[in-house]
Parts: sequence; C-alpha cells; structure tokens
Amino acid sequence: MEKRKTLFHRLIPPPQWKVPVLLTLGIMVGFVAFLAYISRFHNYLGEKPETCINCHVMTSQYASWMHSSHRETATCTDCHVPHENIISKYLFKANDGMRHATIFTLRMEPQVIRIRESAIPVVQKNCTRCHGKLFHGPPASGMAVNIADRLCWDCHREVPHGTVSSLASDRFARVPLPSSPVPSWLKFSQDQNDQNIPK
Amino acid sequence: MTSIRQTIENRPWVGWLLFLLTVGIVFLLGLLASSIVERRAETTAIAVPEGKFDAFEAVNEEFKDYYPREYQSWLQTADTGFRSMYGGNAMRDMLEEDPRLVVLWAGYAFSKDYSQGRGHSYAVTDIRNSLRTAAPMTPEDGPMPGTCWSCKSPDVPRMMAEIGPEAFYSKKWAALGHEVTNSIGCADCHDPATMNLRISRPGLVEAFERRGEDITKVSHQQMRSLVCAQCHVEYYFKGEGKYLTFPWDKGFTVEQMEEYYDSYAFSDWTHAISKAPMLKAQHPDYELYTMGIHARRDVACADCHMPYKSEGSQKFTDHHIQSPLNNIANSCQVCHREETEEIVASVYAHQQRVVETRIQAEDVIVKAHIEAGAAWEAGATETEMAPVLQLIRQAQWRWDYAAASHGAAFHAPVETLRVLSGAIARGQEARVELSRILSKYGKGLVAMPDISTKEKAQQYIGLDMPKLRAEKDEFLKTIVPEWIRQYESKGAEKSEPVAAQ
Repeated sequence: MEKRKTLFHRLIPPPQWKVPVLLTLGIMVGFVAFLAYISRFHNYLGEKPETCINCHVMTSQYASWMHSSHRETATCTDCHVPHENIISKYLFKANDGMRHATIFTLRMEPQVIRIRESAIPVVQKNCTRCHGKLFHGPPASGMAVNIADRLCWDCHREVPHGTVSSLASDRFARVPLPSSPVPSWLKFSQDQNDQNIPK
Repeated sequence: MTSIRQTIENRPWVGWLLFLLTVGIVFLLGLLASSIVERRAETTAIAVPEGKFDAFEAVNEEFKDYYPREYQSWLQTADTGFRSMYGGNAMRDMLEEDPRLVVLWAGYAFSKDYSQGRGHSYAVTDIRNSLRTAAPMTPEDGPMPGTCWSCKSPDVPRMMAEIGPEAFYSKKWAALGHEVTNSIGCADCHDPATMNLRISRPGLVEAFERRGEDITKVSHQQMRSLVCAQCHVEYYFKGEGKYLTFPWDKGFTVEQMEEYYDSYAFSDWTHAISKAPMLKAQHPDYELYTMGIHARRDVACADCHMPYKSEGSQKFTDHHIQSPLNNIANSCQVCHREETEEIVASVYAHQQRVVETRIQAEDVIVKAHIEAGAAWEAGATETEMAPVLQLIRQAQWRWDYAAASHGAAFHAPVETLRVLSGAIARGQEARVELSRILSKYGKGLVAMPDISTKEKAQQYIGLDMPKLRAEKDEFLKTIVPEWIRQYESKGAEKSEPVAAQ
C-alpha cells in the first residue's frame, strides 16, 4: 500500500509542471475521445443493426438480412453475439470489435467475409435459443436428430443472408448511411436533403 | 528516486526522448484519425452512383448501363404471360368478365372500357388505347384533363418541374400527349442523383401535409411502400383545375373518405339510369393494404411485389414488379414455409370469398339502379328519391372501394368483406325504399334487362360502341404517331424512348 502510494505520487508532476502536463494529457485524451467519436465507438455498445454497417464492408449482410424474415424479430447481435450473460456478451463484442477495427484499418478485409470457426457455436446456440421448441418433440423427433451432428445452416443455407455475398454483391443496396459527424450547429450551408420533394 | 525533472536536468536526451515520443504518438493518432475519416467518407462515396443524370431524367434507357440488372428486370414488366385466377399481367377485359360493371358505371367513361392493367411497361400505351380517354383530335379536345397522365410516366415529374403541377393538371389530356412518352420507370421512384427512393408526385406529399405528417421523416422501409402509394391510392380531381387530390384528410377507411367527399358534396358523375350522385373509387390499394396483417407486420409493397433476388454473384431488388403469385419462392416463402400449392390455394380461397360477396353486392346495386330508373319513369319526385339515391351512392361507393382495390381480397380480406357487407346492406335498403315508391305509383316487379354480355349491357345503357371504337382507331392512327414524332424531333432526348406496344 505504502509503495503503491509512493509510485502514484511519483507520477504526479511537481507543482510548476502541473499545468503543462495537464494540458498535454488533455490533448492526448481529447484526441483519443475524438477517435472514439468519429469511429462511432459508442454505437458498438448497443444493438442497432445499422452499427454493423458503420464501415461499408458488411452492407451485403445487412441488405440480405433486411430482406429476410429474420428482419422482423432478430437483429445482428441476436444471432452473432453470445447471450448467456452480460460478461460473455461484451467480452465477445470487445474481442470481435477490436479484430474488425484492426482488419478494417489495415485494409485486410477479404472479398468474401465468412464466419470464423470460433463464432460458429455462438450462432448455432442462438438459433436454438429462439427455435428451441422445435427440438422438444418426442425423442425420435426428426429435428432433434437433425441437429445432433450438423449445424442448422448446413441445411438452411439461405437463412438469412443467402448463399451469395461478397463486398461487391449488393452494389446498389439502399442501406442507412451513417450520419455526418459534424454537428448541425457547425453546418452553415442549407440542408439539401429535401430539394427533390415536389412542393 | 530522482524526479523526472532531475533526470532530465542530468540527462537532457531523456527530455528529447519524451518530446519525440509525444510527437510520435500524436502523429500516429492523427494518422489513425485520418484513416478513419477517409474510410468513413468511403462509405458515403461508394453509395453514390457513377452515372450523372438530370434530376428528372425521364428516359429509362439512360439508366441501363449503370443499373443493368435492375433495368433488365424492369423490362420484364412487359411480360403478359401470367394469369392468376383473377389478375396477373395479361390484358383482361373486365367488362366482358363482369358485364354488371357496365350498368354500375352507366354515364361514366368506365362503362365504355375497363381492362385490367398490364405491367408498368404499358402504362402510356394502354392509356392511349383506352376508350376512356376517347379520341381528341386537337390538343384542346377530349373529355380528360392532363391529370390523367399523372401516374403514367417519369415524363410527368419532368413536366411538373417545368410548368408546375397546377398547369399540368389543368391542361387537356391531349395537350400533353407529345410530352408524356416514356413508360413508368426509374425516375418515378428514384432520385437519379443518388438512386435513393424519392417521392416524385405532389399528390402524396400534399396529402401527408394536410394530415400533419412529414413525408421526409419516414423510414426506408416505409418508402418501399410510399413510392407505390404515389399512384396506387384513392384520389379524385379537385375543382375546375382538376387538381389531383387524395381524400385522406379524415382517414383511410371507406367511411372516412365518404365523409370527406360528402363534406364537399362531391360526386364524380350522375348515374345515367338512377340519377344518383356517384363516387368512383380509384384503386385504394395502399389504404387497404395498411389495414391488413402484412402492413401490421411492417411488410412493404416491395417485399412481395419486388422481392430480393440473386443472379450469379449479385443480389438485387427484382424490378419486375408483378403479382407475387408469379414468384412465390422469392416473396411468400421468404416468411411462409408452406408449399407453393398451399400458398396459392390459400390466396385463391380468400379471393373467391371476396369475389363471391362482391358479385352479390353488384347484383343488388345493379337492380337498385334499374329500379330507381323505373321509379323516375313512374313519376317519383325528387324528394321521394333523394334518400334512395343517397343509399345507392353509399352502396356503390363501398362496393367500388373494395372492387377497385385490386389486391384488397388478399391485402385486407376482413376489412374488404366488412366494406362489401355495407354495400349490400345499403343496396338492399335502397331497394326496400324503391319497392315502396314503385308500389305507390302502381308499379309491380321491374323487369331486369339481359346484361349477360358486355355488348348487351353496353347496348342497354345506350353506348354506341362501333362509333367510339372507330373514333379511337382514327386517333391512334393519326394523333398518336404525331405525338411520338413531336417528342422525338425535340431532339433533347438522347435515345429512343421506351414505348412498349
């Protein structure tokens, strides 16, 4: 305890340095906050599907989900994030998010995005989380046998994203675009959004 | 331990190291920030289409190189090979299939000609061909206003941008014939600059405004229905300027619209036999759709009529707008797991029940019109007839609201049957009143004419069909080619307009 206190105290700059150090640290922290803001880090804590197309590489997945029946009841995170408890959920999100951010920043995204080995059980568990009733039939029920040795989408191949998906497979999909990071009070030009609505 | 300050005083390079480290970190953070900003911009940049078009580019072919799949599938709206039990994209002569319609619309142009619409490809061709638009031999001639073009072509928003909607509506139909040439296509629903969905017709925007709603504040999913609701709705031509107006101010139901029309004492025409002040319903498709289960589940028009489709490595919206019955796999079966036959059977079962009820309503209202005609002949007074005519107006408005909404039997079967039951009840009420009036004037049973075919029915209401057809043929032979020639010779249009024959 005593030692830690001294360690901490050693990091506190002498009085005449306090102001410049505070300023420098403030600049650095502010910069990191800015990075978090423009990369829309705060969105990643939520469940909105639009978050997953913050960077455009998953537009194809968004578009096919948006045209599927799952649109009505399940969003991205309902299937692609574990739901056992809040810790496993956010650990998974943090882990996945960091990898996505890194790969995207380094421009290493593949032309065709495929599910990773480690994410397969997550999706499978989420299928049965909602569709569990299907397996509660008599012991010899077809469904129960069906998932004994295979994954749901080994048969339901089109659910919900279809079998076609690549960075270029949905060129003209109209998906929500992220709004401008510049707050409205900083914009002095007239909003042009509704110029095409007939008066 | 020495303080950092002392360390730096002793070894100045430590100070420099700290300085350079900070510079490096800030520099790298800056690089990361610009990378993020750059890739953010990418998201919006790739969403902007390559082609540069006028805001009201009306020539559909202009888009074909940029959106080949959408364009190719849109071309298929020229297909006329599909007939379902009651609809499809084949041309069906509705008057021939159901000659009662001729009597119901006696005195109104629909009794001359009413065919089931073909695909969007034929919008311009079919309105030129229809006997309803008659045979105007000069631009100032003819029974119909420019308003009739409103839904037929992307040339309409182009012209409205040029001359304004009021001037567009108040011209004669024939006065715009050389302008409205391209069939319903890209710019009717899309903003050519961004290809985002766009409302191009003022009628819908104004209807929203009068309801206190803002059409710019709707979701993309809502837009996937609202672009259709620009046309597939109930509307009327308001006032002398024939201003296209949706009667939505009080609501979408048959009663709310009736209340709206009654408050203006509006009628589309006076019935030739019964003299009743009639309302003509114009396909309230969107309105009835909102009253059904699919709308409740937030399923948009495009979800079933323009489902997602994959072709090779591409997924895109199928622009072959058509009956989902011709594309069960991509429409119904996205959500419903039943076999195709079962789905079709279930849709037909709904339609058969609604059509059965609809025919009952027609039989009642046809008789009411004819009996009312007999009552006038017997010497009934206007005071005696007024409540009867009101009932006939109400009955037929209800029947037409349900009948003219082509998909109603599927979109909202329960509401449609409710509306039709109201039509039957009011029609019968009118007939009870009429039998009282007829017996007062010593009239017995009114003999019903033979209206078993379209020809007989049209003869009964006194239409000179050969004359109407001959005039139309002359118009199609002389005026329409002239319109097309004028449009092409303007030269402004870069390529051949698409006009399906």
